[in-house]
Amino acid sequence: MSGTKNGAALSSRGVLGVSLEKGFRLATKQTAFAAIAAMFVIMIFSGTNFYSTYNLLDLLSSASILVILAFGVSFPVICGGCDLSIGGTLCISGIIAIRCVDFMPIPLAILTAILAGALVGFINGFFVVRQRTEPFIITLGMDMLLKGISQQVTDAHPITTGNPNFMMIANGDLFGIPNLVLIMILVLALTHFLMRYTQFGRNCYAIGGDYDVAMYSGIPVVKNKWLAFVICGAIAAFAGVLLSSRLNAGSSTYGQTTALVVNCGVVIGGTSFAGGIGSIPQSGIGILVFAVLENCLNMLGIDAYIQQIFKGLVIAAIIWVDCFARKRKREAV
Amino acid sequence: MRVMALLRRLVKEYLVLVMLIVLIVITMIAEPKFFTPANLTNIMRQFGPLSLVALGMTFVVFAGFIDLSIPGMLSLVTVVTVSLIDPLGQVPALMIGLGLGIVMGLLNSFVVLSCGALTLAEALFITYGMSTLYGALALIVTGGTTPHMSWIKADISLYQAVGKGSLGPISISFLIFLGCLLVLYIFQSRTRMGRTVMLTGGNKEAAFLAGVPVKKSIVFIFTICGLMTALAAVVLFSRVTTASPVSGLNYETNALLAVVVGGTPIKGGRGSVLRTVLGVFLVTLMSNCLNLLGASPYMQVILKGIILVIAIWLDNRKEISSGGKI
Repeated sequence: MSGTKNGAALSSRGVLGVSLEKGFRLATKQTAFAAIAAMFVIMIFSGTNFYSTYNLLDLLSSASILVILAFGVSFPVICGGCDLSIGGTLCISGIIAIRCVDFMPIPLAILTAILAGALVGFINGFFVVRQRTEPFIITLGMDMLLKGISQQVTDAHPITTGNPNFMMIANGDLFGIPNLVLIMILVLALTHFLMRYTQFGRNCYAIGGDYDVAMYSGIPVVKNKWLAFVICGAIAAFAGVLLSSRLNAGSSTYGQTTALVVNCGVVIGGTSFAGGIGSIPQSGIGILVFAVLENCLNMLGIDAYIQQIFKGLVIAAIIWVDCFARKRKREAV
Repeated sequence: MRVMALLRRLVKEYLVLVMLIVLIVITMIAEPKFFTPANLTNIMRQFGPLSLVALGMTFVVFAGFIDLSIPGMLSLVTVVTVSLIDPLGQVPALMIGLGLGIVMGLLNSFVVLSCGALTLAEALFITYGMSTLYGALALIVTGGTTPHMSWIKADISLYQAVGKGSLGPISISFLIFLGCLLVLYIFQSRTRMGRTVMLTGGNKEAAFLAGVPVKKSIVFIFTICGLMTALAAVVLFSRVTTASPVSGLNYETNALLAVVVGGTPIKGGRGSVLRTVLGVFLVTLMSNCLNLLGASPYMQVILKGIILVIAIWLDNRKEISSGGKI
């Protein structure tokens, strides 16, 4: 009698344990998404204007530049590299665009800036892929170099342009939806397609998964990984153009902490730094965690310094949970 | 012929040293003021905080990690120590400041170990989160203001000595650095723990299976990094006499660059604190020389970036040509 009772208790605990474990696994699979969902639920009860269309669109448009950067960074990260020079690329491309719109048509100016970014990506790719240096450290040096160049060409002053149309790129809207949000969706569609449905994108995953195996399988590893860096540079430059258009100024002080924030957001989204895992939308979600958190805390009227504490805790907690899940998986095997 | 071979080997092995000598020679020819006592003292002073942080970071890199929590730790130790001098006196404040560094280092290692973050990237971003946290606490402690040392009524002779004092021709902050270097060098090369750290960096899994106390060494390196950062904070605010809650900004990247330029590979398992000293020398002397040569501050950042990129690149080529696995 007591034996069956015990057995029943055990099995019920077992069922509970299993369901808890399932829930835990589901949550840890997309920790960033779960965090955003949790924040949205909390905001229902806050009695603020969080759910107004205006606020949500504002949230998206203010996050869009970082999200676009994250889309770009995902390419080298999925290939098993990383790019910390995006802060510098952001600065210099914004400055180039602002300087160029004064004497050439806007599309041409944007193209020039993007080409400059692609060149930075090309140089990064040369060092990382051809010369096989550690991407983390070489792109850090590159970032410093680009910031120096930005300071030199602007004399460390913000520069601006007299062309009012340039400002409208990022500040205008279409049918009530801010241009930045539309551009973000466009870049998302483009990069996601590139990563998911083209040979190049699939090769990226293979290279990130195992470089040597990819090489022996006949994938043009050098060309592919190099291209990933070039794409990252070009997208970062495009984000720089949007930023300088949004603020109608180019400055060497932009992007001081951008590189780490964006790379961190990509990792939070579930794209592994080890390479081969993750996707473009995931990276976007990772960055949106920061944006939603900031917006929520602002809505709740929380002090800026306390906000920073929350930010630190959320970063550490999400990565902690992800690591812990991986550890459990390792031990289970 | 043999001279050429020797020269080539020298360049290959001690590239940073060669660059350093070239830099010094060029500056000496162009600007004789370089070797005046005033300038040498100046260099020693500039050497202070960055070198200490870089020494701490070296051990973290040995074990195959990167500690990004340095800016937060540096800022927090700075503001806490300065705000405690008045109520507690200078020595207890110093002790609490250094203790705080150790506690934060322990906390970092605890967070990293508790979730089993064994790769560089995982620990990297966890420490980045911790840095944000510490930095926010620093801002809260001062309310965003920057306390000045002259506001303190209590005795601050200790900090004045660290900031301005010198023993003969050598400044006190440089002596602190030399002391730390000696201790850490002995630790790295002569103790079992030092070797354990290297083994941990070489291959964590293999080290763990071979019975090397991997966890203990991870706790150790983060604690050393915390302590050295706290020490750097004390040297920094003693010299600049203000306690800015954002004083630690960019120290992590500069320290990391000094470590890597010195020739300690970022993958861990090899290297030496002496190499880091060379790296710090290069970074510090470069700004000093460029200042003397009259380069604009912006130009300096560019040149610094170029030299760093080239140094990292050449160092990496050396590794490839010597048959190292990439």
